[in-house]
Amino acid sequence: MSDLRELLGGLVSEVDAVFLFSPSASFYESFEDVDDALVVVVAPDDSVGAEEFVELPLEFSDVSSRVRYGVEGAMDQELVDDGDEIVCAVKTFDEDIDTVMRVKASNFSPSGVYGLFVNSRAEPAVIRDVLEVAVELGKKGQKGKPVGALFVVGDAGKVMNKSRPLSYNPFEKSHVHVGDPIVNVMLKEFSRLDGAFVISDSGKIVSAYRYLEPSAEGVDIPKGLGARHMAAGAITRDSNAVAIVLSESDGLVRAFKGGELILELDPEEY
Amino acid sequence: MSLHEPVLRYLTSSPFLAASAIFIVGLISGYLLGQFVKRALRAIGLPGVVEGTAFERSARGLGTSTVGLLSQLVAFSVYLGTTIAALDVAGVLVMAAVLPFFAAFLPQVFIAVLAVIAGLVVGDKAALLVSEHLRGVKLPEAGLIPTLVKYSIFYIAGLIALNQLGVATRALLILLAAYVFGIIFLGGLAFRDLLSAGAAGVYLLLNEPYSIGDEIRVGDRTGIVQEVDLFVTHVENDGTEYIIPNQQILREGIVRIRD
Repeated sequence: MSDLRELLGGLVSEVDAVFLFSPSASFYESFEDVDDALVVVVAPDDSVGAEEFVELPLEFSDVSSRVRYGVEGAMDQELVDDGDEIVCAVKTFDEDIDTVMRVKASNFSPSGVYGLFVNSRAEPAVIRDVLEVAVELGKKGQKGKPVGALFVVGDAGKVMNKSRPLSYNPFEKSHVHVGDPIVNVMLKEFSRLDGAFVISDSGKIVSAYRYLEPSAEGVDIPKGLGARHMAAGAITRDSNAVAIVLSESDGLVRAFKGGELILELDPEEY
Repeated sequence: MSLHEPVLRYLTSSPFLAASAIFIVGLISGYLLGQFVKRALRAIGLPGVVEGTAFERSARGLGTSTVGLLSQLVAFSVYLGTTIAALDVAGVLVMAAVLPFFAAFLPQVFIAVLAVIAGLVVGDKAALLVSEHLRGVKLPEAGLIPTLVKYSIFYIAGLIALNQLGVATRALLILLAAYVFGIIFLGGLAFRDLLSAGAAGVYLLLNEPYSIGDEIRVGDRTGIVQEVDLFVTHVENDGTEYIIPNQQILREGIVRIRD
């Protein structure tokens, strides 16, 4: 048994930081005496009262996105440096923390998933709400059939000037915000319309039925994605918006920023 | 037959027995009323409302609860009433001498105690609610507001209780009036701009003379509307974002630029 301890002890030796993902209060308390490494809590809310804390906007179901977000967030807050070695304690299958992994901070860049939420024009909560709507839509589809949808979030003034209406805007003179309970239903109904949804920095739904007309020059998105993704990539390159796309063909939710694909989620996993 | 009559006569003639009968009936009805109050308070959901307040916690520390205290208060006042009645019937107490005193004083004490309990509970609860709303504001000074709300409510409850007991409260009332006047006057002064911006914002949001994406000019500021909310409008022009108070937009007029 002691051999096994020695073998696995190498996993946690000489690390600079320990990241606890959504720890329970007692689990966090048992780490209070750790002196030789920084203890960082990554969770949707700081329920354990940790000093070093990175807020998770979304309970990413796959572990790598969660770790990526946590490490990128800690780098952005300058809790860890580029060359640091980090041990992450995460939940994978269980309700409790059951996985320990060791990662290098240099493998991540702060412009990734963390930047999508925190360093965008729109508020993090708005982006999270839109992602949730897209995931929900991807899970259920419209009357059982898969649907596609394109949401452009933030920098709405510029986006409106780089697009034209395909038909009358059903959201004209309305003041609905994403995250209102009624909106999920409304967006589901309107998702069968063609064109994009435009959402402002504060989450107000400005318009549906928009045909985006950005210049698609120099947009680098993976080959094989359709016109909807191309439009999403291009509009984020041409403005400071974030685009969230639900693909009709493969059912994945993708987020674009600055013309690049940043995040890919499978709605079935949530 | 021969036994019944003396017993009956004894029962009706002896003041002590009638008094003890009244006393027992009082005990039972007080207890039942207390139980009824307890159940009624539970039914209207009082335990959930007072949960987490300091009063409830200290009541729990004494082995009871707010509901228990209130029902015991009701039961106790019934006990007291029947005890006095029983003493009167027994002839120990001369009712005519003490009745005016008790009739005038007891209900007032009862209401005063109720006011104090209600004030403690409501004040704590209001402080909890306010601090929950302010939790997003990460400012140490914001912690002062819930405390201020709590003690204002305590003060008013104390004032009501003292007034019930007939203590002279004029000085305290004047203090309260000065305090309320200060809040309203200074609050109005401080929030004047926000109020007028909000009033203008209601018009702008309802009528939408311009909407997100339109190019407008307000005064000498030209740009594309990015956001309209109740108080301000965000107008952006080539990396410069003007955040213009809504009342200023109404006052200066809106120029919509179409081409």
